[in-house]
Amino acid sequence: MNIQEYISSGIVESYVLGLASEEERRELERMCAGHPEVLRARIDFELAMEKQAMANAATPDPGVKDKIMNEISGGGKVVSMKASPVRRINGWKYAAAACIALLAGSIYLNISLSGKNKKLKGDFDNTVAKLNDIRKDVDMLRGRPEVKMASMKGTPESPQSYTTVYWDTASHDVYLLVNNLPKPADSLQYQLWALADGQPVDLGFISDDYFVRQDKLLIKAKNAQKAQAFAITLEKKGRPDAKTPAGKMYVLGNL
Amino acid sequence: MNLKTTYSEQELVALLQQRDQQAFSYLYDNYSGALFGIVHAIVTDREAASDVLQNVFINIWKKIESYDASKGRLFTWMLNIARNAAIDEIRSKGYRDAQKNQPLGENTEIAGSAYGPAVSDVGLKKLLGKLKEEWRVLIDLSYFQGFTHEEIAKMLSLPLGTVKTRIRSALIHLRTMIQ
Repeated sequence: MNIQEYISSGIVESYVLGLASEEERRELERMCAGHPEVLRARIDFELAMEKQAMANAATPDPGVKDKIMNEISGGGKVVSMKASPVRRINGWKYAAAACIALLAGSIYLNISLSGKNKKLKGDFDNTVAKLNDIRKDVDMLRGRPEVKMASMKGTPESPQSYTTVYWDTASHDVYLLVNNLPKPADSLQYQLWALADGQPVDLGFISDDYFVRQDKLLIKAKNAQKAQAFAITLEKKGRPDAKTPAGKMYVLGNL
Repeated sequence: MNLKTTYSEQELVALLQQRDQQAFSYLYDNYSGALFGIVHAIVTDREAASDVLQNVFINIWKKIESYDASKGRLFTWMLNIARNAAIDEIRSKGYRDAQKNQPLGENTEIAGSAYGPAVSDVGLKKLLGKLKEEWRVLIDLSYFQGFTHEEIAKMLSLPLGTVKTRIRSALIHLRTMIQ
């Protein structure tokens, strides 16, 4: 590969944007050291990115700077307790100063600990909430008698696809477990249907977010009053008549 | 009192490495907006994005010693610190829980709630919109969401080589758009 090809291979951009692998990084650094054209290309792209970022700056809240400046100027350090000689008889003012320093340090610590406490409490609450969600999911999966299950097998359209619906016949809640579904193109989304007396009933869409994060076990759909079977179709986003299936069917399963 | 109001990049780095707070204040005034722009494009929650920005600057202050000008410009270095911190944030449990598990309902267009409408139409994200679909997704996943090429290949069921080539092509195109 000649230098020009190397420069226009996308490696320079990868490097600057932090997307290059360790090996690619080392290679580019070596190339920059040996070939001024490569260095030039890197700097040009860096400047272009900088300009781009500057042109799209967003103003942070005014308090942020104060917090940062305070932190870096040692606001984060507790006032030194190695105060001056208190043992001198005439040392009351030192003692007083030390007390004030102690007080200030203690107030600072209180504030900072209370902040930390709040954060820990928040983290803890989040964890508990998450755990409860998972517990609910597990309860659903554990097979209570009123929960019916439908294994939805892939249609010829997508034989690998496989999902499972859990339908609580008492509460009418419907939960979907995606065992395997290909990620849809951005203009498309999956829609879940109940089939009741031969009629499709819309149970909602699977959000794109699900495919990106994949941090959910069960997806809660809309309630179904009645169902003999469930199906998922792949639909165009924003179609006007969302209550009628129009796209291809991916999975289908009877109760 | 130093009344100087502009610094060359070299001067700025030298002063920062000597722990000059005035230079740091200047750095903040000049670059916080651009860095906040990128952080907020990744972390949509404004309050969380502000916290990330705060940590980014504190990290810049702490790590300035390790900045190596031969490897890139100061801004590039800071931008990467900002992007990494933002990605760490959206991957943290606390942040994900805060915006989790909306039940499917009438408002099911929560698609892509990782970045709300407020920021999806500005900046690099706006540029992204001009890329063709297969590129846009790849840049979004790799740059804005921090997935490795391997993870993306698995996610999209594409061969790793294809993911790499497409990301490169997308970046080359992106370059022609911003230069």
